[in-house]
Parts: sequence; structure tokens; C-alpha cells
Amino acid sequence: MALAEVKRVQIVAHSDVKMELLSSLQESGLIQLEEANFEDFGLVSTSPEDSQLEYTLHRLKHALDYFSREEEKGFLKKLFAQKPALERQKRKEVLEYDYQSVLDDLEKLEAEKSELLSEIKFLERERDFLSPLKELRLPVSSVEPTDLTEIMLGSMPLSQFEDLQKLAEEEAIWFEVIHQDKRQMHLLVFYLKREQEQLEQSLKELNFSRFYFTEPIMSMAQVKDRVENVMEKIHKEIEERIKNVEALNRAGRRLAVHREKLMLVHDVLLNEREKILSTRLLGETERIFYLEGWIRSFDIQRLKKKLKPFSDESQLYFRPPLPEENPPSILENPKPSKPFEVVTKLYGLPQRGSLDPTLPLAPFFFLFVGICVSEAGYGLVVTLLSLLYIKFAKPKGGLLLFLKLLTLLGISTVILGTLVGGWFGFPIRKLMILDPLLDPLSFLILALALGFIQVWFGTFLKLIDGIKNKIILQSIFVQGGWLLLLPSLVLYLLTKQFLWGILSLVGAAGIVFFASPSRNPLARFFGGLYSLYDISRYLADVLSYSRLLALGLATSVIAMVVNTLCQTALGIPWVGWLLATLIFLGGHLFNLAISYLGGFVHSMRLQFVEFFSKFFRSGGKPFQPFEMESKFVEFI
Amino acid sequence: MALGLTLAVLGGALACILGGIGSAIGVGLAGQASSGVMSEDPEKFGSLLLLVALPGTQGIYGFLSAFLVILKIGLTTGVIPKLTVFNGWQILVACLPVAFAGLVSGIHQGKVCASGVYMVAKQPKDLMKPVIMAALVETYAVLGLLITILLLNGIKL
Repeated sequence: MALAEVKRVQIVAHSDVKMELLSSLQESGLIQLEEANFEDFGLVSTSPEDSQLEYTLHRLKHALDYFSREEEKGFLKKLFAQKPALERQKRKEVLEYDYQSVLDDLEKLEAEKSELLSEIKFLERERDFLSPLKELRLPVSSVEPTDLTEIMLGSMPLSQFEDLQKLAEEEAIWFEVIHQDKRQMHLLVFYLKREQEQLEQSLKELNFSRFYFTEPIMSMAQVKDRVENVMEKIHKEIEERIKNVEALNRAGRRLAVHREKLMLVHDVLLNEREKILSTRLLGETERIFYLEGWIRSFDIQRLKKKLKPFSDESQLYFRPPLPEENPPSILENPKPSKPFEVVTKLYGLPQRGSLDPTLPLAPFFFLFVGICVSEAGYGLVVTLLSLLYIKFAKPKGGLLLFLKLLTLLGISTVILGTLVGGWFGFPIRKLMILDPLLDPLSFLILALALGFIQVWFGTFLKLIDGIKNKIILQSIFVQGGWLLLLPSLVLYLLTKQFLWGILSLVGAAGIVFFASPSRNPLARFFGGLYSLYDISRYLADVLSYSRLLALGLATSVIAMVVNTLCQTALGIPWVGWLLATLIFLGGHLFNLAISYLGGFVHSMRLQFVEFFSKFFRSGGKPFQPFEMESKFVEFI
Repeated sequence: MALGLTLAVLGGALACILGGIGSAIGVGLAGQASSGVMSEDPEKFGSLLLLVALPGTQGIYGFLSAFLVILKIGLTTGVIPKLTVFNGWQILVACLPVAFAGLVSGIHQGKVCASGVYMVAKQPKDLMKPVIMAALVETYAVLGLLITILLLNGIKL
């Protein structure tokens, strides 16, 4: 129940072995580095330089992102995908691989591709611009002013057509409508240059806007080419570029054979960078460097062994943490209750000197989720799925711990489902101790009794915590008072026996006289009396456990509803069995999901709000050792 | 006699309707918030779905209670059940806890989940914390369901 013992480690070593020693520390992952108070010893800290590495890492990440975008994978394959493995000692060899040229190739390829894509976009815009002018009968190159006449293309709103006609009748101007759509028309216009000024003004008043062919179009058009021919040419150009893009894509896919190697390089360099960055925590002189950190006492021997090669150049010191220091909290639990650390960590790690609540909450959490779901069939499904996933996908770290927790909770659901629930909505009455549907009151009493036990146990833990932290007298009388008062009061109310009444008064007296820290006897008495009012909180806490009944009932009833719907569906001729199967599978899957979600969340709340509030002090810092980090690769 | 049956059916319907409204509004609120977050970060779909689905339980509790009413008065048997007016009132009133607790807690749980969605957008690792916050609100829907079940169970037809 206690936290792991942590010691402060101090290392002094010769500067020549700085990087190798840091590498060894990183490989072992035993120490959380802390900033050394080097100023006391006249040491200086350096600011490490990592911009080159950072840039390479960025390029590698970009390339790997490219490959993972190109790669097609099924959902299941992704789910069971495993990271490639790399031996820690062999990580230097990975860097001998010529990853720079692969990166260069890939970047060149991407640059070419993006240029082609932007060219395609440009050509498409040109094509869209030309398409209304398709019916122009003149060659493109002849839309040019001559000595005496101006020839031009342009567009005008459809509403101006009549005014334009009038203008053409009166002045030396001629036009032809090439194309018209709902709002505007495209025109070819000729006029005499000597009346240019006046005509330009008139055209402007008619909202005429002039078009010019762009440079690429003009250069593409040969002497006799019409708009139509130019468009064909553009189309061909686009096609060609699309083909080139596809070729580049294929080339990119061929480069994907390097993907795994790039992953290795990325992670090795990532750790190199971490190592370089870690040097800012060191205190240094010209000859030596000094580092400090936290280590589990348990690991000290391993660290000594790991640093044996440096024994001539380095010196290790260990000391217990000082009172003003705040070492990281490391949870240490035996195997069966280890998965329940997931619940503790979610709330927060214990402070230095507080109890680790994992072991105390484990049996309750195990039981509560089982009661909330209380459906043995679902438990079996969850247990099997979690075990299969652990076996085939080989998850690590937090995910593995969570899956182990799910396995345990599945087992609990099978047991409690058989005792107080059913198998997929069908209760097996012979094995049941209690049917909550027929006798909800007994079940409610059971739930409240469980709640009473947990709340009482929480108070008991507070007593222990208080004694450990030397608040002995107050703990014994106040917490001890509650521990005596609560059960004897319940027994007195149930049996009305005189003895229990006396015992509850004794407990209450302890609380009244010791709960308030005040020295003034009157204030102390009334303060203590007031804290007796906490009994309402205990009552509310215990009643809160009635949710166990409600959630358990909800699962059973929904499972029954699904089965009833199946039965109704079976009555439909021909397709009845199919519908019934679908309803059965879908319905139970849905119920499984919401029951586990509800069971998990509400059981957790019972731990956090009702149980932890009695004794637990959170606020510890997590242990973050200096170790090999892996993004794409598993270091072994 | 038909009045008794009508009242009982009204009770079941109210449980389902009010619980459904609460959940629909709640899931709607959380869903809008999560779509906003996903427009920036589509990868979060999985974790946000959990928060969006959470206010959906009130609707299920209401549905569940309505189904219990159906079973209680034997609507599935094919024989028109005979209920006294008193029985009808009893069943109607028994349905009210889950109906109103579901209506109000569904909406508020939706609000808590919506702000939880914003929290997950910034702190993806703390997914379970807003889930627990939402569960604090859901407590009252659970208690409503509990009382409705106990009341329905206790009514003698």
C-alpha cells in the first residue's frame, strides 16, 4: 500500500565519458533527471545545440507521414499492427544507412509533383476561360489589331444587347456574338481606329470588358489554330501531366521499401536529441560534469551494474530525499492488483507520505463493475476479446494494463452475472443467489451494505494514515469514534439493544471531544458537536451505492427487451430468423457497450467521490525516467 | 376501466418521451461541440464519441421504464389488460421520477459533456476526467430510474 522508496542519486564523472554515460543512463531508463543545484559548487550549465538534428527529424517525420498516407491498410490490420523492434545496443548501426539520399529523392519527387499539380491547375483555368470562345471562327493569332482597325474579344451583360445593336447601326463598329449564356454574351468586336476614343467610351458605358489571350495560349497556338485546336492541345498537356503525376506516385510507392529503415533512424535520432537536450540539466566544469536525479531504491544495484564500465571515471552517491524535496510517486503493487493502478492514476498520484489506494480499491472496483454489468455473457465476451487482443497485438505499457483490467472485470462480470444476472438475458435460476427483478429490496440492501463496508474501510484507512503521520490522539478518537459509532448505530437501529446504543454514544463522545483542534473547552465542545453533523455525509455516501442496483437492473432489463424483440421477430414468416439474429447480435452488442461504459464510470465515481474522500491525498508527481522514447519503433 | 389503461400507457409514454428529449438535447449539445473540435482535429473522433454518447443514457432509462410498464400491464400478451383508475394513476406517478430526472439531467449532462469536449481538445490525455464529471450529473437520472423501478415493482395489480 505504500509507495516505492525513492532516493536521490548524484553522479560526478569525467567530461570525456559524458555522452557515453548519458547513453547508458538512457538505455537503462532508471533515473529521472533533475536540475542539479550546480551553482553551489561553482558549476555552469550549457545550453545544448540541436537545430540540425531537429531539422533532420522534421524531414524524417514528413517522409514517414507521406508513406503512411500512401499506404492502404484495413482497420483490422491497423488494429493489430506491431512496431518494428530494435535492439538498444545496435542503435548506432542504424545510422550507417544512407537515409539522406532517400529523403532527398522523396523531397525531389514531392517538389516535382506539387509543381505538376499547380501547372495542371493553371491549364484547367485557361481551358475554362477558353471554353465560351470555342465557336470563334478566326484563328487565335489573327485576333490582333491591324493598321486601321481594332479587333478584340470581350463580354457584356445580356441586357445591353439592344443598345449595342443601336451603336453598331450609328457608328463605325461591327460585332459578332460568339456565345451567350443566361447572364452575358461573348463578343468579337471590330472598329475603326480613328474613332477609337469615342467608341471605347461608348463600349465602357455598355459594361463591355475586354479579354486578352494569355502568353502561354498565344505561344501554344500555331498560325492557323483556332480556339478549339488550342483547347485540344491544353487537354493533351493536362493528360500528360496527370500521367507524370501518376508515375511520380508510383515512384513514391517504390520508395516505401525504405519506410521501416526510416522509422528506425527517426527513433534513434529522436533519442539522440533527447540525450543532447538532457545535458542542460548537468552542471559542468572543464574537466567534470555533475548530475542529479531520482531513482527507486530497488534499482540502485542495477544502476551500479550498468555504470560499471565507467567506474574509473565516475563516482555515484545516494541519499534519501530531504523533507523539503518532493520526489516522484511510484506506485508499487502486486501482480493481481496492478491493473487497478489505471483507476488510481486517473484520479491522481498520491502525495509523498500518503497511502497508495490501489490495493484497497481493487476488490471493491472488481465487485462493483461486476454488479453494474451483471451479465455473464457480456463478461465472457469482454474477457475473451481482451485476452485475444493481448495475445495477438502485444500491446505495451498503459494499454496493456488497461486490457488486463478489462480481463479482470470481465471475469468479475461472469461470476456476478451468474449469481445475480443472467447469460444474454436468460437467467439460470439454479445458480442464482438473488434475482434483483423479483426481489429488488434485498438487492438494494446488499448494495447499501457493500457501500457501508467501503465507507467504513475508507475511514479505517484514514485512521492508519493519521497514525503513520503522527496525529495519533486525534486519529484514534475521531476516526476510531466514527468506526465505532457507524456500525453500532446501525445495529442499535436494527435491534434496539441497549449495548449498541452505549457503544455508539462512546464513539460519538470521542468525536465530540477530539474533532476540534481549539484549546478553548467550550469552542472545542461545540466544534466537536458540529462535526457529528458529518453523519449526514456518511448517510448520503452509503445511499449513493444504490446506483449499483439501478445499473445492474438496467442491463438485465435491456437484455430481456432484446430477447423479447427477437421472439417477436421470429414470428415474421420467411425472414424472421434473419431479423431475430440481427436484433440479437446488435442489441446485445449495444447493451454490452453502454453497460460497461456505465459500470466503469459509476464504479469509478464511487471510488473517487465516496471512497477517496475519506483518506486519500493526491497531488504526487509522476516518475518520468530518462529513457528510450519510441514513436515508430519498439526498443528491446 | 379504459381510463386506467390510458393513464398507465401515458406514464410509460412520458418516461420515454421526457427521457428521450433530455438525451436528445444533451447529445445534441455535446455533438455540436465535438464537430467543432473535429473540424480542427479529425483524429479525435473516437475519444469524443464517448463524451457525445454519454448523455444518451437518460433516453435509454426512459425507454427501459416504458418497457417495464408494458410488461407490467401485459400489453404484449394480446389480451386487453384490465386496470382500475387507481392502478393507472399509480403507474403514471411511478414513471415520473425517471421522466423528469432524465429530462433535466440529460440536458445538463449534455452541457458538462460539451465543455468536456473542449477540455479534451486541449488535454487529450485527460479524457476520463470529464467523463467522471458527466457521471456526477447522471447520478440523478440513475436514482430516478431506481425509484421508478422500485415503485413499479411495488404496485400490486
